[in-house]
Amino acid sequence: MSDDEVSPPGRSFWSGTVSIGLVNVPVKLYTMIRDQSYSFHFLRKRDGCPLRYQRVCTFDKEVVEWGDVARGYEVQKGEFITLSKEELDAIRPESDRRIKIDKFVHYLGVDPLYFQSSYILGPDKSGDAYGLLFATLKKKGMAGVGRYTMRTKEYPVLIHAYRGALILTTLRYPNEVIDPGTIKDIKELKEPSKKELELAEKILDNLTGDFDIRDYKDTYRENVEKLIKLKLKGETIKVERPETEEVKELMVALEQTLQQMKKR
Amino acid sequence: MERLTRVSFTNLEKVLYPAARVRKLDIIKYYIRVAPRMLPFLEGRALVVNRFPDGVMEEGFYGKDAPQGTPDWVRLYHTYSETAKRELDYVVCDDLDTLLWLANLAALELHIPLARVDNPDYPDMILFDLDPQPPTGMTEAATVARLINSKLEERGLNAWVKTSGKRGLHIVAPLDRRNTFDETRAYAHEVGIELANETGIVSSEKGQKKPGTIYIDYPQNGHSRTMACPYSLRAIATATASVPLSWNELDGLDPSRFTVSNVPEKCDPWRGFWKKLGKL
Repeated sequence: MSDDEVSPPGRSFWSGTVSIGLVNVPVKLYTMIRDQSYSFHFLRKRDGCPLRYQRVCTFDKEVVEWGDVARGYEVQKGEFITLSKEELDAIRPESDRRIKIDKFVHYLGVDPLYFQSSYILGPDKSGDAYGLLFATLKKKGMAGVGRYTMRTKEYPVLIHAYRGALILTTLRYPNEVIDPGTIKDIKELKEPSKKELELAEKILDNLTGDFDIRDYKDTYRENVEKLIKLKLKGETIKVERPETEEVKELMVALEQTLQQMKKR
Repeated sequence: MERLTRVSFTNLEKVLYPAARVRKLDIIKYYIRVAPRMLPFLEGRALVVNRFPDGVMEEGFYGKDAPQGTPDWVRLYHTYSETAKRELDYVVCDDLDTLLWLANLAALELHIPLARVDNPDYPDMILFDLDPQPPTGMTEAATVARLINSKLEERGLNAWVKTSGKRGLHIVAPLDRRNTFDETRAYAHEVGIELANETGIVSSEKGQKKPGTIYIDYPQNGHSRTMACPYSLRAIATATASVPLSWNELDGLDPSRFTVSNVPEKCDPWRGFWKKLGKL
């Protein structure tokens, strides 16, 4: 599949409701962001036999099956409080079934730095309520703000209209974001001179254009793909690392010496 | 660009001689330049190298056994080592690629035994290792070196001189491999005793490094002993090399002058070293 084709969404991984006051919109969630990089399996070198992981006790090396695994919170080095899956399930917030919209905001007014990941919201059973929510949000350019619990974390979320569907975007908490202003080297920057600024602005103007994300491709992934295709054909691969200036220097000296040695 | 070498160079920017600001790149370039003059001395010998992957200010380590990841094109000499009490694979540097591979491993010092692996009991060189004990220095060492030269000439041997790269001198005479180590060692000892008597500034007894004398380390003429290969760098902060000299360069000699940066340009005073082989 080439980079330009979009992969179909697959099955939904969650169903629940979006509630606005007394109105409930039954919805399903689908994956929207899919990592396209090649992932590899771990194999035993000598025979290509696939490997799997095992959990092993650090001290007595006994293999521990999932049924015997507890979750531990380290209170002090080496001292843990254990929590069972049942205990953690019991305290899951309500937002793991129901996304309650607290208010509506202007979508463009939300700082994109806080966007974490996005998911496609689709209608579950009846599409009427969904269609109404979608049309209203699209017309007004607004987003609903609520909360959603996924696995073991509750996220603030935005719901807004995008490319003909409703999208759920999980957000980061402010305490998860490091303030760039706290970096010493940045705090201690000097003001550039007027001349420097003018020159820099000229350079910037020269390189100004329209942004198109499609201008970018994962070249490492392309290289992996080529490598895999070659291997399928049974060709040997010549590993060419890019030559640095230093290596070029050595090659010049090498040529001279090789010439000299030929003469002897 | 076509491949001129099988070696992939790594960490070229790493500084290995901090005081002299010499990088691995400079060291590899040095060995490339001196290779034509150095390879004839490296060939066919079980090498002992002194590696300094973290630079000369850190502990180096002596390598006899070929390290993990030695490429399959590097020639190895498999033998039992008395000192290590086990089987070892020595690296034999027969070609330029092996020398470059060693340089890339930060093998700053390359030490060669006086016999080759195809005939380990019959050395092809005899060595007079002169180590001036303070307060004597290079001037006295040069005097003794010249005296050794005359004695060797009388015996019909060609003597060649080089700096050790540290504070001493090495006088080397090529042999036709009809003498054993016992014979060469005994002869070197003999010469030492004669010179001790004649000059009073030579100490010739094993390990007897009397201050104010030139110590002739005659036991260096042994199976398991090695000498810094001509043109080998030394792990000295100033990046000096063990550099071949002509006999008239001994006057006012300052061995610290000869470093990684200028030795490659020096003309080769050891041309014809292997042309005339002698016998004791």
